[in-house]
Amino acid sequence: MPDAPTPRLVYDAYLITAYHDFYKPAVAPRVIGLGLGAALLAELVFSGHLAVRSHEGRDLVVPEPRGGPPRDSLGLWLTELVQGEPDALAVSQWLEYLAIADTQTKTAEHMVVAGLMVRGEHRSRWLGKVQVTYDAADALIAQAPLARLRRHLSTMDRRMPLLDAFLLALTEAVGLSKPLYSQMPPGAREYAEGHLRVLPAPLQAIRGHLTAAVADTAITGNL
Amino acid sequence: MSAPSPASAVQSALARDKLGTFSLLHFSLTAATPLTVIAGGVVVMFAVAGQIGIPLGYVIIAVSLWLFSVGYTAMARHIANAGAMYAFVARGLGRVPGVAAAWVAATAYCALQISLYGLLGITAQGLFERTGLSLPWWVFALAAWVLVGLLGTRAVDINAKVLAVLLTVEVAVILLFSVSNFAHPADGLSFASLSPSALGGEAAGAVLALAVIGFIGFESPTVYGEEARDRKRTVARATLATIGILAVIYIAASWSIITAVGDDDVVAASADPDLMFTLAGDQLGGAWVTIGQVLLLTSVTAAALSFHNTTARYLFALGREQVVFSWLGRTSVRTCAPVAASVTQTAVGGAVLVLWAVLGLDPLVHLFFYLGTASGIGLIALILTCAIAVLTYFARDRRDESVWAAVIAPVLAVLVMGGVMYLSVIHFHTLLGVEEGSLLPTLVPILFGALALLGAGWGLFLKKARPEVYAGIGHGAKAPLVQAAERAAVPVGAAGE
Repeated sequence: MPDAPTPRLVYDAYLITAYHDFYKPAVAPRVIGLGLGAALLAELVFSGHLAVRSHEGRDLVVPEPRGGPPRDSLGLWLTELVQGEPDALAVSQWLEYLAIADTQTKTAEHMVVAGLMVRGEHRSRWLGKVQVTYDAADALIAQAPLARLRRHLSTMDRRMPLLDAFLLALTEAVGLSKPLYSQMPPGAREYAEGHLRVLPAPLQAIRGHLTAAVADTAITGNL
Repeated sequence: MSAPSPASAVQSALARDKLGTFSLLHFSLTAATPLTVIAGGVVVMFAVAGQIGIPLGYVIIAVSLWLFSVGYTAMARHIANAGAMYAFVARGLGRVPGVAAAWVAATAYCALQISLYGLLGITAQGLFERTGLSLPWWVFALAAWVLVGLLGTRAVDINAKVLAVLLTVEVAVILLFSVSNFAHPADGLSFASLSPSALGGEAAGAVLALAVIGFIGFESPTVYGEEARDRKRTVARATLATIGILAVIYIAASWSIITAVGDDDVVAASADPDLMFTLAGDQLGGAWVTIGQVLLLTSVTAAALSFHNTTARYLFALGREQVVFSWLGRTSVRTCAPVAASVTQTAVGGAVLVLWAVLGLDPLVHLFFYLGTASGIGLIALILTCAIAVLTYFARDRRDESVWAAVIAPVLAVLVMGGVMYLSVIHFHTLLGVEEGSLLPTLVPILFGALALLGAGWGLFLKKARPEVYAGIGHGAKAPLVQAAERAAVPVGAAGE
């Protein structure tokens, strides 16, 4: 399997959570939105466009004055939203917003432009509605992010890149631990835990709030 | 003049997605399933208590729960994860009592849910016998158990829609039957059932305990506190409205039965477990008996489903906190339902049903009544402990709440719920229909006490051996955040407190 690197964390998160294949179950729509929101936030924190600051017990998302504007429309959209807020909002509020702001479609459209996905339209015979679908341009590339994480876990021979460690945390948080750890050698979970424990505090906060938001969804339902 | 600060686009979008009072009310009322209480519970109360003070019992419990809810919803405004009563106990009295309350709560909800299969089995058996299909009760109970088990692992919103349709039909039928009963009085409209003398003796505790069970579900709006549009008001409004609406339905329906049969005859008439439907059949036509029984069947199924979900969420939250087995905190990838907790509850229910069937125990007496009333004792103890926790919480700091909400109402709630608890325990033999001094009525409070002690012991163990897990107790879904902060000892804002 080629280890074709998709260029962005949010693309990898999309391929893992929203792209369904034989090897992993479909993820609940709200959880996909939460996961992609977390990936987009983490990506912008990692690239220095946003920061997560702890203030009076809340993890606030703030614009990072050092960074210039992101060069892509997806990152720019979120950064401008963060900058446009009169008061800084918490990570949990941003995740909740991104889950209802159709981040999934926005990301898929972005991936179409990047040549990673192909947009299709199908008219429903019964309802007469047009259904939009997004298929991977290359099925092997679509499987690459999960395969890459599994390779880290199976070899355990070198330090996992930071963004891959976050992607692993995200995969666990959305409930895909089983396909991730299936048939992994003993010690894989400890290896992963070792990496997750040393995630930088802002990424750790995003991970924690994502896990909590998924659990909240389980308790209150897909409201 | 300075320009007004621009509105937050994100917060406006989030506010549009929030739940209003009616949505919260919908969730709490669907959890209550009133026809099960009226047709399955009220008639039994007349028979068990041997007196006509049932409407008065509902008035007393409605007032008690209203007093409790004043402080309960006030505290919910100040704590994150105000989802379950044990969380209130953990914040008010400490984490060790919190774990004890959690164990009692999980067991009580679990027992209450399983008890409903007894009523369901016997109702379905009677209904299907009319069509010539004669099968043992446990066949129907197991069929419902499979259905509830499957729906329990699906997304909650599917369940909510099913429950909403059932609730609407149920309430309409209860109101129709009640109006019909009032329109056909035996001796004119009598107020004797509301007289203080109508409720007394050794049956008072039994009536009050059974009345409390009918209101379970009133506490659910706090679960959706973080999804509420105006958390400070909507949760309190929905909780109080739930108690008010259920009280009106229960009081009117039980009073209407007394009116239709007569003060002197209702206790004897309650030997017929289908009294509500028999009256409807006499007054409105024979078809209404079948309609009522079919609806009772769907209502009990809905109640079983509702309590299944409540229990599963309790177990899920405890799993996430690692207060019990952490695998209970697993969710379904496809539906995000708390699948491990749901399957566990289904497995326990299945085991009880098989055991009862193999031992040949009576589904109505030994399953529905014994298990249901025993769970009632646990739930009353939970509400009382929660009331004490609310009082303690506001005794430390009133947090700008009014004296009424922070002091007077909680004190009154502790007193009345303490009274209800006392009467329920000392009259428990009446509730079970056994002799005073028998083993069973003594055993149930002891079992709950032992469970609370074991829970407290486990809490103390966590405090010493696993402090990061201990720190997350009472935080439910947010527990991993608190635990991570405890492990890293860095100020990751956890619960927004």
